[in-house]
Amino acid sequence: MKWLDMFCHWDKWVKHHFQKVKLRCRKGIPSSLRSKAWQLLSDSQELLEANPGKFEELEREPGEAKWLDIIEKDLHRQFPFHEMFAARGGHGQQDLFRILKAYTVYRPDEGYCQAQAPVAAVLLMHMPAEQAFWCLVQICEKYLPGYYSAGLEAIQLDGEIFFSLLRRTCPMAYRHLKKFKIDPILYMTEWFMCIFSRTLPWSSVLRVWDMFFCEGVKIVFRVGLVLLKQMLGSVDKLRELQGMYETMERLRNISPDTIREEVLVQEVSVSV
Amino acid sequence: QMGGQNLRKEHLYKVLVIGDLGVGKTSIIRRYVHQTFSSNYRATIGVDFALKVLNWDSETVRLQLWDIAGQERFGNMTRVYYREAMGAFIVFDVTRPTTFEAVIKWKEDLDSKVMLANGQRIATVLLANKCDQGRELSNNGIKMDQFCKDHGFVGWFETSAKDNLNISDAANFLVKHIMATENDILKSVVPDTISPQMDSSRQMSCSGCFK
Repeated sequence: MKWLDMFCHWDKWVKHHFQKVKLRCRKGIPSSLRSKAWQLLSDSQELLEANPGKFEELEREPGEAKWLDIIEKDLHRQFPFHEMFAARGGHGQQDLFRILKAYTVYRPDEGYCQAQAPVAAVLLMHMPAEQAFWCLVQICEKYLPGYYSAGLEAIQLDGEIFFSLLRRTCPMAYRHLKKFKIDPILYMTEWFMCIFSRTLPWSSVLRVWDMFFCEGVKIVFRVGLVLLKQMLGSVDKLRELQGMYETMERLRNISPDTIREEVLVQEVSVSV
Repeated sequence: QMGGQNLRKEHLYKVLVIGDLGVGKTSIIRRYVHQTFSSNYRATIGVDFALKVLNWDSETVRLQLWDIAGQERFGNMTRVYYREAMGAFIVFDVTRPTTFEAVIKWKEDLDSKVMLANGQRIATVLLANKCDQGRELSNNGIKMDQFCKDHGFVGWFETSAKDNLNISDAANFLVKHIMATENDILKSVVPDTISPQMDSSRQMSCSGCFK
């Protein structure tokens, strides 16, 4: 009810009661309303309404072969065990192709980056292709500008910023990573570019995305910092990670026990 | 006096697995390390890791395999990925000629960003993967040998992650080369004048090099 009421007077809520909206996103958006909420929070609905017929128009374009080639190779490699994307040439994979291709036509200078596919797939699990397309546009241009661009400079820069934030928030984890020369791009590239969609247990992914759509990229930084603090933030935890490889193993296979959804959200809400 | 188990010599080698997207880098690693194959692997974003432990005569070899994303734009991060690597596999897909054309580009990228302590290029083996899907290279063997010679590969193998063909052979071959170069480096850093001391330790570390 609270959410339905907010939907009816969305502009007013965002303008005058943003704190309240934020708190509700942190509590988690009810799953039946998530699609609509993400579209409103990201302003992608507005974009869609401002561009009627645009998606169809993009779809009619043939697209550049060099992108189509890569996109096609990635279609069956996104959430391969999710029922929507499991079947070769099934609806999920078809829609994925449609929106990823449409994006390369929409932004030929950007083209396609492999990390966009899991993001697009998560969107497609929640909304139809056209809506998912505009939501993807917002993520690529408003939330994470430059993350998927040719030189991948933005993500590398954010890696450095992330590492310096770690130094302040969890010196122990920072020193450990520094000692074993574990550069931030070795572990945060996938976390940040895919907005944790391939990293966390599914229920946590959705909670992170709820907060992300409301508060933006800072949520991605905070989640990353919380994860490092949980995994590398005590002498006990570091004792068994006496090497670069052991540490990377831990960071790349986050067990659900390491970080429970409620703890994660709680920590993200209070951190920094 | 070598009886104690803790004297068993250990080697840790970082090995890169690179090549164009979709050529089967992840599949090769999974086959080699976990003895499995699936057509459902996720695309690698950034970099992934796996560890293979080998018993090499009386020594232990730990191969740290770095599975590196194939899309060109991740090439901007390869300098960090390549750091301190001792060997590499460059993989192409025999069914897609463009992935073979890209092999030279990968090799140049590798040689321009990483080298051994003695300034030499790291040992690199070329893998012609997906050879289960037809397209025989064997009759092109002489051409391939020449290609390897021209471009500084220590050798090449036809592999299939699906049918488990030649993957451990290729890995053993690469390890042998890495060990040999490692010994060259050990020799070269010690001046000739003190070679008597070096000789004893060289014999120890050399014993398993050439099976």
